[in-house]
Amino acid sequence: MAKVIASALADIGAGLKMRRVWMALAQEDIGDQHRRTALGPVWLLLNYLAFAGTFIFVFQRGDSSAPHYAAYVATGLLVWFYIMETLTQSVTLFVREENFIKGTTLPLSVYIMRMATQSVMRAGYALIGCLAILAMSDVAFTPMWAWSALAVLLIIFTAPAAITTFAFLGGYFPDSQFLVSNLMRIGMFLTPVFWTPGGHGIRNAFYYFNPFTYFLEIVRIPIIAANVPVRSFIFCAIISALLWGVALILLGRLRKQVVFVL
Amino acid sequence: MVSIRVENLSLIYRLRQKLTFRPRDNRIPAGGRIGGKGRTRFVTALDGVSFALEAGDRLGLVGSNGAGKTTLLKVLYGIYEPTSGTVDIDGRVDALFNINLGFRREATGRRNIELRGLINGWSPEQIEGRMADIIEFSELGDFIDLPFKSYSQGMAARLAFSIATAMEPEILLMDEWIGAGDPAFQEKARARMGELAEKAGIIVLASHNHGLLSKTCNKVLELGNGRSNYFGSSDDFFEGRNGAT
Repeated sequence: MAKVIASALADIGAGLKMRRVWMALAQEDIGDQHRRTALGPVWLLLNYLAFAGTFIFVFQRGDSSAPHYAAYVATGLLVWFYIMETLTQSVTLFVREENFIKGTTLPLSVYIMRMATQSVMRAGYALIGCLAILAMSDVAFTPMWAWSALAVLLIIFTAPAAITTFAFLGGYFPDSQFLVSNLMRIGMFLTPVFWTPGGHGIRNAFYYFNPFTYFLEIVRIPIIAANVPVRSFIFCAIISALLWGVALILLGRLRKQVVFVL
Repeated sequence: MVSIRVENLSLIYRLRQKLTFRPRDNRIPAGGRIGGKGRTRFVTALDGVSFALEAGDRLGLVGSNGAGKTTLLKVLYGIYEPTSGTVDIDGRVDALFNINLGFRREATGRRNIELRGLINGWSPEQIEGRMADIIEFSELGDFIDLPFKSYSQGMAARLAFSIATAMEPEILLMDEWIGAGDPAFQEKARARMGELAEKAGIIVLASHNHGLLSKTCNKVLELGNGRSNYFGSSDDFFEGRNGAT
């Protein structure tokens, strides 16, 4: 096992040394996707605002059952879009990079970090929209927001582990790209992105037994309730550690094998 | 001092039946020998290959399609990990496999030089230092600041060739001799390849062009079904062949 972890860490170390490569490629990826448009990557911001605006406009109730609803949706969508995009894109990562994997000696972590950086850049535009909605909403800025910033960092830290795990899953199990993309589409409705918990029944079950709920909560609660969801933080930290454990094992064991299955 | 020492190198990989709901993927790889049955089939791509090269050696890899030439190059480059045996390499290894890999259509020629340089592991200073030479050699002139997608096929090939050969290799691996462009540029490219070959400490060149190999290489490794059939002087190899025919 020590050998496996050392192999994974060697790949990650080599990948980190090549940070110029993945940062430049991620930048190009974002630029390419909007190269011929008048607004460029600002479309990412508009896309986020259109979604958030629609949910807030359609689902906001006038009663007191969902306080700070605009902030609730804004933070929920920010995190959900990031998670959804990261997971759906990562399943096809190694397949998309097949030519590079078969033709260069770049460490796999270069592709992983390229995708992670790209997702953070995209989320950066959504973050601007989120902050704008928060500024216009009825939530007060408090020092508790620092916990939300910490939560965002925890999610960003977890992303490369999730990308690694899902990229190997997609490499060895091609159907998983459709399974994951469908699950993530459905997941948006089964995760409290725009709906709030309440009462009993199936909806509450989806709230409490859905791991994504807690990743949304650690960002959302410090902002809208001005307190720290300690249990959710612990849960997310454990998930993060587990994902990193799985990712390191997969990377260590399969990084030189994946080339044969692509 | 550069050197390559390969002993009893084998590369065996499992033909994985992918977990998929689709009908079974029965494609088989282009080369090597297939062993095993059903779900546990293995491909022996290289089997007990041994050779040693010292500074100044130019090794020609010969063999029919699927003999293991490209696989061996990829093992030497570090893309494939050998299943058994040892590969000891002293010196930096550069490869000219797919020189068109990774060009970005929307980026300018200049930006593509930067990106390719980064992928090749060049430092920003090295990229800066080689930029003028690459632009000059590619003869792209003002086109260098236009998007790559606006280039003709010949221009794109010239840029790819200029970047790929802007290096000082210690050990150079090539899957076929490369060239590019119109007849005038091809002449220039031939000269550049000659210079590159002269500068390199060791060259390993896989090719079906025996005329080229007999002119370029002093040693030959013949592969067949992943096994080494001959390793030795290229003169003896090609004389033997000519004598036989």
